[in-house]
Parts: sequence; structure tokens; C-alpha cells
Amino acid sequence: MHELSIATELHRCCRAEVGEDGSICEVVVAIGDLSGVEPELLRFAWEAVTAGGRDDGATLTIDWCPATQTCPLCAEIREPQPGKWLRLCPTCGMPLALSGGDELDLLRIEYQLQENEVTA
Amino acid sequence: MNRAEFRKRILAANDEEAARLKRRFDESGTLVVDLVSAPGSGKTSLLEHSAARLADHVRVGAIVGDIATELDAERLAAAGMPSYQIVTGGACHLDARLVSEALQHSRFSSLDVLFIENVGNLVCPASYALGEDLKVALLSVAEGDDKPFKYPAIFTKAAATVITKTDLDGHVSFDRARVRNQVMTLNPSAEVFETSVISGQGVEKWCEFLIENLETKRRTLAHA
Repeated sequence: MHELSIATELHRCCRAEVGEDGSICEVVVAIGDLSGVEPELLRFAWEAVTAGGRDDGATLTIDWCPATQTCPLCAEIREPQPGKWLRLCPTCGMPLALSGGDELDLLRIEYQLQENEVTA
Repeated sequence: MNRAEFRKRILAANDEEAARLKRRFDESGTLVVDLVSAPGSGKTSLLEHSAARLADHVRVGAIVGDIATELDAERLAAAGMPSYQIVTGGACHLDARLVSEALQHSRFSSLDVLFIENVGNLVCPASYALGEDLKVALLSVAEGDDKPFKYPAIFTKAAATVITKTDLDGHVSFDRARVRNQVMTLNPSAEVFETSVISGQGVEKWCEFLIENLETKRRTLAHA
């Protein structure tokens, strides 16, 4: 639901970065599976906030970051399926630690600068 | 083609505003609690029933967010809790800027505990820092016992989960052990409370938790 707010904020950040002479071609973001952001909705919202402006058609590339569960004893890293988190390590029974997956980061902007007209 | 590379929080502007709020709350020694739940889980009811108990010990106030109406602020004021209503006009969550504006407009004298009752929504509020010390998730037994894993973002961040409306036990199917297990999996240090404002169960314990957190915050600030 809040993907529109996030897309608007993302576009504002990118606009500030590329300046008035720039047009955004591609934006790469990292989204974690514990960030509460749905990638498809974010893409849809991104298209909506960029449509009709100078960044119309800019691609949003999402680098999806899963959360991991680590056993403090076995040190084994498990990548859980969403909704299939394990509380205890199946090998040794220790409680697993959950980490990562909270990414909501801007990583890269590809943009073109409008060439300034040279006056004689 | 030009390229700019960095790692920057998309919500950095909100995070900065939240950090400013946090400094302000630390200066005044105010414990700030962001209450997050689905609509109808009983956030306002829990605050109404906490108001009198807390008022014996501390000065409390609330900022309440809703898409429309000022009903919640009116209910809390009637329960003796000074409150300020943010009407978001459609936005599904509160952000730090809205809280800053609310603080400017509200006439709170210095508070020991400030509640921020978020818009009823288990998804979006998880992404926004508001300068709070604690996020607290509420889950009523009528909502079902699978919610922590269905909405992991908020239950991972919440320092406490309050299971509400336990007086409905027997009328709805709800496995408390399952909820505790899911909460502990996502956040092993989280506290879990069980409350009913009808029977009064657990409300005292919840209030004690708040007072303990306030005292811990004050001690930490005194040593800093």
C-alpha cells in the first residue's frame, strides 16, 4: 500500500542526484523480504510516478535480498522460504538467528545528461 | 551514459527526521511507543484502559493517526489521556514529518510517555521510523494465530507483541503458543503480553513493562 510513497521518495532522491539536465534511464534498488515492500507494486508505482515526465520509461531494477537464518552453533546459513521460518536448528536444536532482509536502499542510477547547446 | 553508485536508504529523509525527533525525545526523557496493528485490534482500547493506571505514575499523551475522523483522540481525551489526532486523508501510515507537525500543533506539556497510535495497518508502518524507542505490535485473537509469519516485517521490528481480546477465547480458534513461537522466531528478544480490556487481564503487566522501559531509558540517558 505504501509502495507509492516509497516510489515517490525514490524518484525525488534520484531527481536530486541527476539534476535538471539529467534524464533517468535506470534505477537499481535493493529490497529485502522483511522490508514490507512488494516488488511488483513498487514497479507499478514507479511507472506511475515517472510517467509523462522527463524520466518516462525509466527502468526500475530490483535486487531482491532474502533474510537468512544462522545457527549460532553450526553456523549453517539457511535461506528460509517466506512464511517457513524455523525457530530451532534442525541439526542441533539451538534457536536460529534471523538477519538481513530489511534492505530498502538505492544502489545505482543510470542517466543521460542533455547536451548543452554551444553558442558561438 | 552517466552512472551514480551508492548505498543510500530510500527513506533517508524520513530516517533523518526520525533521528531529529529521537534527539528531542531523549532531551525531554520521554519514552515513545509506536503502536502498530490491523484496524480493530484494540490499540485505542488498550490505551484507554492504560490511561488511568499510568496516570498514577507518569504523565502520558498520545498522537493518533487515522485516515479519517477524530474519534480516537476524542476517546482518549475522554479517558484522561491528552491526545492529538493526525488525519492522514488517505495515507496508510504515519511518517516522521507528520509526527513533527503533530508535535508542533499539539499542546502537550512535558510527557514521560508518548504513544504514537499508528494508522491501522500491519504492513506499511513497519517501514517508517518515527523517533520511537519501541515499536509494539498488537494482534487480537479474532485475527488468527498465523499473523506474525504473514506480516514478518512488523513482528521482526516490534520489541513487544500484545495479544489482545483474550476474553474471546473459546469463541474463536487461536493458538497462543503458535503466536509466541512465531514471534520468538522472528525476534527472540521480543516480549509477548496477553490482554483483555473486558476482564482487565494483563493490562497491569503491560503498564509495568512501559514503566520499566521508561526507567531504563532514563538511567541510560543519565549515564550517557
